[in-house]
Amino acid sequence: MSGGSVGAVAGGRGPRAGRGPLSRSRSFDPDPDMHPDMHPDMRQPYPGHMGHLGHPGPYGSLGPPGAGPGMAAAGAGYAPAYGPPYGYGGYRGGYDPGYAGGGPGYAYQHHQQLVHRPNANALAVGHAESERSKCGMFWRYVWKLSSCLCSHVTLVSLVVAYCLLGAMTFEMLEKDHEVEVKKNVTLRRSNVTQWLWTMTSDTAVLHQENWTHSAIERLKLFEKELVWAMRSQGWDGSEDLKLVQWTFAGALFYSIIVITTIGYGHIAPKTHIGKVVTIFYAILGIPLMLLCLSNIGDVMAQSFRFLYWRVCCYVCTRKPQPQSPQPRRGTRIARSRPASSRSRLASTRRSGRVSTRSADAVLHSVHGVVRASHSDTECRYPDEDHDVGYRDGGYRDAGYRDYRGASLGPPMTAAPMAAPRYADAEPRLPGGGGAGGPGGPGPVLYNKYALDREESGRAREGQRRLRAQSVGREGGREGRRRGPSVGPGGSLPRQHRLAERHDFERGPPVRGPPVRDSLKSSQRSSGYGSASHRRHHSELAPSPRIMSPMGFGINRNLFRAVHGVDDGLGMDADLELGGWEAASSAGPGGPGQIRPVPIWLCVFLVVSYIFGGAFLFSNWEKWHFLDSAYFCFITLTTIGFGDFVPAQRVESNAEVSIALCSLYLLFGIALLAMSFNLVQEEVISSVRAVARRLGIIKAEPEDD
Amino acid sequence: MERKRSSRRHKPLGEKIKDSLRHFVAFMFSNVGIIGLVVGYTIVGALLFQHIEGKNPKSVTKKTEDADRLRNATADRLWNVTCCFIIPLEEDVWIKEANKLIEEYQKDFVRTMKGAGSDSGKSTDNWSFSGAFLYSLTVITTIGYGNVTPRSEWGKITTVVYAIIGMPLFLLYLSNIGDILAKSFKWTYAKLWLCKGCPGARRRRLARAMQHGNMSEAEEEEDEVDDGEEADDETNSSSESGDTYDPQTVTVPVTLCLAIMVGYVCGGAVLFSKWEDWDTLDGSYFCFISLSTIGFGDIVPGSSVYSDGDGIEMSFIFCSMYLMMGMALIAMCFNLMQEEVIHKIRSCVRTIRYVTRCNRRRAAAAT
Repeated sequence: MSGGSVGAVAGGRGPRAGRGPLSRSRSFDPDPDMHPDMHPDMRQPYPGHMGHLGHPGPYGSLGPPGAGPGMAAAGAGYAPAYGPPYGYGGYRGGYDPGYAGGGPGYAYQHHQQLVHRPNANALAVGHAESERSKCGMFWRYVWKLSSCLCSHVTLVSLVVAYCLLGAMTFEMLEKDHEVEVKKNVTLRRSNVTQWLWTMTSDTAVLHQENWTHSAIERLKLFEKELVWAMRSQGWDGSEDLKLVQWTFAGALFYSIIVITTIGYGHIAPKTHIGKVVTIFYAILGIPLMLLCLSNIGDVMAQSFRFLYWRVCCYVCTRKPQPQSPQPRRGTRIARSRPASSRSRLASTRRSGRVSTRSADAVLHSVHGVVRASHSDTECRYPDEDHDVGYRDGGYRDAGYRDYRGASLGPPMTAAPMAAPRYADAEPRLPGGGGAGGPGGPGPVLYNKYALDREESGRAREGQRRLRAQSVGREGGREGRRRGPSVGPGGSLPRQHRLAERHDFERGPPVRGPPVRDSLKSSQRSSGYGSASHRRHHSELAPSPRIMSPMGFGINRNLFRAVHGVDDGLGMDADLELGGWEAASSAGPGGPGQIRPVPIWLCVFLVVSYIFGGAFLFSNWEKWHFLDSAYFCFITLTTIGFGDFVPAQRVESNAEVSIALCSLYLLFGIALLAMSFNLVQEEVISSVRAVARRLGIIKAEPEDD
Repeated sequence: MERKRSSRRHKPLGEKIKDSLRHFVAFMFSNVGIIGLVVGYTIVGALLFQHIEGKNPKSVTKKTEDADRLRNATADRLWNVTCCFIIPLEEDVWIKEANKLIEEYQKDFVRTMKGAGSDSGKSTDNWSFSGAFLYSLTVITTIGYGNVTPRSEWGKITTVVYAIIGMPLFLLYLSNIGDILAKSFKWTYAKLWLCKGCPGARRRRLARAMQHGNMSEAEEEEDEVDDGEEADDETNSSSESGDTYDPQTVTVPVTLCLAIMVGYVCGGAVLFSKWEDWDTLDGSYFCFISLSTIGFGDIVPGSSVYSDGDGIEMSFIFCSMYLMMGMALIAMCFNLMQEEVIHKIRSCVRTIRYVTRCNRRRAAAAT
């Protein structure tokens, strides 16, 4: 374990050391056992990268020192030599830590064996990388284009344009008809008057009863005509030709009402062509609106989640500053652990040792004993030997084939390893200098616990979310491990790697429980929410910078998004950590990363939105408060009875009222979409659990 | 369940039949249950709303009384104008006066009609059982015609609560029924269209094999087909006797789904136009607006002015049935189409990925 961990630390620190002051990078050197040994292994598989990156120099200088013996010196030289331009070298170094952690003697031999090999592959890799860069550019442009097309802004403007188009069309189609209806009503009334006059003048003797009776009959007929005009002709009751319902604003409102499927029905098309156009307008518009709303809801949900976890939980946390470094460091180990745990699983003997070691480690950490990890790594040297045997055998075919075999190619596979480590190394800059001073292994041990604490925290959170604990934690772990395990896997035979991954998925880690217990007892403090959240972001952020010279950082994000699109909707969590891996193996993602916002908050948000709208409309439209709330509810659920419609009484500023209502309902529906987005996972899982239980209850009696 | 289905393929026949039987019974129970639940919920809602709103007698009767009163008053005033107000009885003056009076009357009448809601001039009580049933259904389907709306405060509050519970229930009904309809439709489609004698059966079977996502399988089958009738017969017999292929993997073409939806709307249009004396365009417009849950309510069954009571009741019931079936059918079609679309997107993405991977491999191999 610790070999891998330390290797990872070294790798992770490499870039930082390059950038940071020398003293800090030197502070790392006191870890001589692993560090120098790591050099040869670390560099050899990837000289092509180095060459490609245009930094061949350090290679020459650090070169094949067979560095095993000259640890301290090499370690010292390492950090400066990997200085600013060679950050990538350091970073690449972190790439292969699992093997790198081999013992001195062994690694030396290994180095001798391998010393001639890399050159053969160096060219291939270099070439592949340049190929990739072209490919990456291509993909980036494709992605830019498609994202341009599909981005939220474009979608929203598309919907707006569609509404405007509909408004113009419907105004053109229906306005004339409405004016005609109004004229028709006037005509009919004058007909009534005319009829009455003829009756009056025709009758010789006017009896009141007779006359009133016939007048009433005529008036009844007139009533029927009026009702008919109101119902099937859409007459709104006024004869003023200037007060038309189908103004542009009215038609715009109508378009919105149609494509949101609210359908108040206060104005409806009355001409035949208007009806036909409405049908086709709805056929196109409803999916468009749904797409747009789900998109907006997605964005809103993300930002709300971010806001909630970033701001609220940050505020809620008592002491965010002192606590944050620990999880960060922990995550670094989290990155590196897969490598070591991979080797752990390579042999049962070792796994057993690891379990004991972990138990030891708990004790050591409690007592602050630092050297434990050293002894442990020394114990593991033979095992590393075993590992490298694999590597020697399968280096050429398995390693590189695997490398290429990953769907995203080398940069993609490199990214998971590289990005997180790099990312995690960086946050150490502010706080980690002093801690790293006394000895490298110190932080290693410490961090392990920090990590486990976080993991346990996550697990606990999973419980809190009523999710199956195993799913949450295993998913999270799996995701975390999977990503990093790509790198090591690159130099193992593929089947071997796969088998190991299966192991990961199946068996719970051996040393999980004790450590977790200790952590639960010791570090049950609040704030892992924000801390892990920050970690979560720090993983993502640096990736473009790492790969940016080739544009791969963007490319990687691109691919993440692409895979997120095609591999299912629930993948984002996995994509954050091991998405490329999961995407290439089409494995199920570990959903441990999405932090849910509590349901009550969403419900509260929606309810308060409805009541806010009720208050607004009761002031604006002079409705009763209950009526306003009822209107808001009926509108937002898209029932849309149409018994209360805005802008029917306030004739003076109907357009403002319409605009207000449109904004209210559009935003409200987006808010609803957001809330559904936020709570759907929880709700669906709980409902599904209930349904499953019910289904089992139903199914079993029939079995018997 | 997915796992079960996939594993079912490898089980022996008896086990499979038992398994499927159990599934079938479970399905029947759950689906019949959900239909009964929705119908029962709607009936309960109908009784509830009838109870709450039926107590409120002002709506219809008061409106007709108002209209009567207005009419009588207008007639009286007109008589006054005729007999007493203008002695010489000149045409121009009389018409002017009468016009003024009638316009006033018209405005009052319209206000009466609008103020009490749009359900004007109906002889029957709006909150009859069938009316309330249709109302409940339009609430939980979010159609919301608005031809019948609650007037009392309690009616409004009940509507809100009723909708909160009812809408998820109806969504569940839709997804459940849509699912089972899609499955049975697929089964029927597979049995009827993909039969042995049909022309193009081979092509379709190939397409099905391709949709398994297994290119090699498709190629194998293609080889077999190319080999001749013998191989073809073999695959056929194996697929029919052993039922080795799952009819659920058949994808129904999108055009068929669209045709079903259009056919349903047109059929409803014809039925409604006969029943309600609408023209066909109005009927199809009504069907579309209803099934897309827009629900303007400008055209509503039973709204033909001054029609008989029984006809309205029947049309409400008929409309409710049409809506429940239609929405389930549309859910089915979306279910089918969605699969097809997802299939297409998946294969597209897979192709892209394959191509890019190929390029990379080739490039790497070239050096």
